[in-house]
Amino acid sequence: MAKTVISQKLPPDIDPTKAPLAYGDRALPRLNRELNDKELITRQRALMTLCDYLHDPEHIAEALRVGVAESLKKLLSDKDPTVRHKTTEVLYVIATHNKGRDAFLDYGIIVPLSKLFDDSVDLARKNAHMAMEMMSEIPYGAAGVVEAQLVPKLVGKLRDELNEIKELILDTLHFCLRVETMHALVAGAMEVFTELLGHNQAMIRAKAARDIMDLSVPLDGKNKACEVKALPPLVGLLKDGDTYVRSMAAGAIATITITTQGKYLALEAGAIPHLVELVEDKNSEVRLNSLKALTTLSEAPEGRKELLNHVDLIRKRMEDESEAVVKAATIAVRVITWKP
Amino acid sequence: MTTVLPQQKEQHGGGTYTFSSRPRAVQQRKKYRDAGQGQDSTALYGNIMYDRRIVRGNTYAQHTLPASAQPDPIEIQRQQEARRRAIARKRAKEQLRPRSPEAVEGRKHIDVQTELYLEELTDRVEEADVETQTDTFLDRPPSPLFIPAKTGKDVATQIYEGDLFDFDIEVKPILEVLVGKTIEQALLEVMEEEELANLRAQQREFEELRNAELVETQRLEEQERRHREEKERRMKQQREVLRKEKETAEKIAARAFAQSYLADLIPSVFGTLADNGYFYDPVERDVESGFLPWLMETVEKAIDKSVLGRTMVDVLIREVVAQRMESFEALQRSIQEMSGGAAPSVSVSQTVVEAPAFTEEPKPEEAPAEAPPAEETPPTEGEGEGEQAEEPEGGEDEGEQVEEGGDDAGGEA
Repeated sequence: MAKTVISQKLPPDIDPTKAPLAYGDRALPRLNRELNDKELITRQRALMTLCDYLHDPEHIAEALRVGVAESLKKLLSDKDPTVRHKTTEVLYVIATHNKGRDAFLDYGIIVPLSKLFDDSVDLARKNAHMAMEMMSEIPYGAAGVVEAQLVPKLVGKLRDELNEIKELILDTLHFCLRVETMHALVAGAMEVFTELLGHNQAMIRAKAARDIMDLSVPLDGKNKACEVKALPPLVGLLKDGDTYVRSMAAGAIATITITTQGKYLALEAGAIPHLVELVEDKNSEVRLNSLKALTTLSEAPEGRKELLNHVDLIRKRMEDESEAVVKAATIAVRVITWKP
Repeated sequence: MTTVLPQQKEQHGGGTYTFSSRPRAVQQRKKYRDAGQGQDSTALYGNIMYDRRIVRGNTYAQHTLPASAQPDPIEIQRQQEARRRAIARKRAKEQLRPRSPEAVEGRKHIDVQTELYLEELTDRVEEADVETQTDTFLDRPPSPLFIPAKTGKDVATQIYEGDLFDFDIEVKPILEVLVGKTIEQALLEVMEEEELANLRAQQREFEELRNAELVETQRLEEQERRHREEKERRMKQQREVLRKEKETAEKIAARAFAQSYLADLIPSVFGTLADNGYFYDPVERDVESGFLPWLMETVEKAIDKSVLGRTMVDVLIREVVAQRMESFEALQRSIQEMSGGAAPSVSVSQTVVEAPAFTEEPKPEEAPAEAPPAEETPPTEGEGEGEQAEEPEGGEDEGEQVEEGGDDAGGEA
């Protein structure tokens, strides 16, 4: 027979790894208090609970108000690996919200968080990178990351990190490069990205191509891209099986071929036939980027001569369902058929 | 419960308190009561503070039982009145109480447990039977029970409903809560991820357009830059062409001027040179330089020979004359000796004859003195011719130079 003596004996602790939540408003202040506890197990349990609790967006603001961010900042340098791992996870959850990102900047969490990039625990590193990636999603967050001089460090990490972390770093850099490219260029990011173009994971190839595109937005970047011979591998990626890779490679080629030097290097690498194939791709982004690349390439006389054979194909794209593609196709046709 | 007591004997009556109640079955107490159920159940209960059967105060001090156990009818009536009023008030209150709004169509309100700790929701009160039975002390271990081989029918035990712990029923509520909480948490996380994914998709869409526009802007910028450079180069080229044209015009003018200047120069130069004797006839020159000296030399030799001959002849004549003079003198002396002074006229004629012979002698001596001046003249002429021969060459060179200068001017033009 089941007995109901619960009033005297607490029910069995179903999940001993988690701290019980206090009722209602008291939940977060108590958790915050526990985060600063001397007992290791208490801190760990509080973190575990916090991880789940903060998934509800309603609780984020309350948590920040109570001062969880400051406690977490302290915990980033904790000796226990589990604590660090869980702390970074909580920070990631917080960073998914605008309010949380503001708190990151207010409390200066970026720098202590970046110390964890060298952590020995893979999960902690990964979560730290995830949080950093989330942080950099918004422009001023990315500016904060750049200000903390993290770009060279991230570029360095790109060489010898785990694959999934590489992905995150590439994302973070993507946003940072929007803000500033000089640091990355000096740190040799272009070489690293070019190396990553040959990676066996499609997502990393795509993101590397995308970062090359971001990096080559200023003139220095374009010249650097030509210098490190990024174009032949990019042209190779145009035949990739992954849509995202193709679209990003086409985008990167479009950006680099703005310069005359880039145009001729791309023509040498035989980019035009592949790009023309991509004009009829299923994905609108691929079509758009390849059209843009063709437009820039057709500004070179050799490119124009070759592309004059394909004008009909591009003209067909002027009835595309995507408005941007229609526009791009119109411009492309105009540039190709331009006569001095 | 307090009021539900077994019936007391009424016949005791008198001073003691009596209470009678209709016998009825012990009702299973329900944990949760429906709204309507509460009314009739309240009748069963009484407040023990007013229960007459309960003795209050110090029992030692209380000697007597209450004087009249008989309840005052007015009191009873009042109590009933109060009870009715209480019930009416309660009912009115219940009606006035705000209720949760009616459930929307297709849903209905369900009671949900909101306590921190779960309680099973049953109407039964749990009962537990506890018993102990001490074993008799045994000196030796009990011999193992003999179990014969199973034969015949099995024995079944009747278990009434509810006797056993029904896992499905007992576990269901707690499982529901567990699953509910887990699903809730999972749902939150899934929604969070979904939201992120949506944001990412939107971001990518935006980036697609942004990148395209960025490339377009940069392309136009670059185009503009190239056009500007091209324009500048063209302008530079045009300026260069203009400059060259101007230079060429100047050159042509210079050439024309030089030509017109040189046209008069050549004839005058040639005239001067010809006047100065730079141009000559080679045959004439050869005759002058080669033939004439030889001729003079030969002539000189011939003259020398004739002079030598004459000198020889003079010497011979002188000797002959001298001999004849001697012989004559000898003859004359012989005659004088013979005739003494008879023939002076003859001697005078002889002296006249001798005189011309003496005058002829200095002539051969003069001839050689005259010859050298004749010989000297040709060399002076030869020297003059040598100079003439050299100078015309220089004159020709000049002429060539002039011509070349003319060609250069033509080439440059």
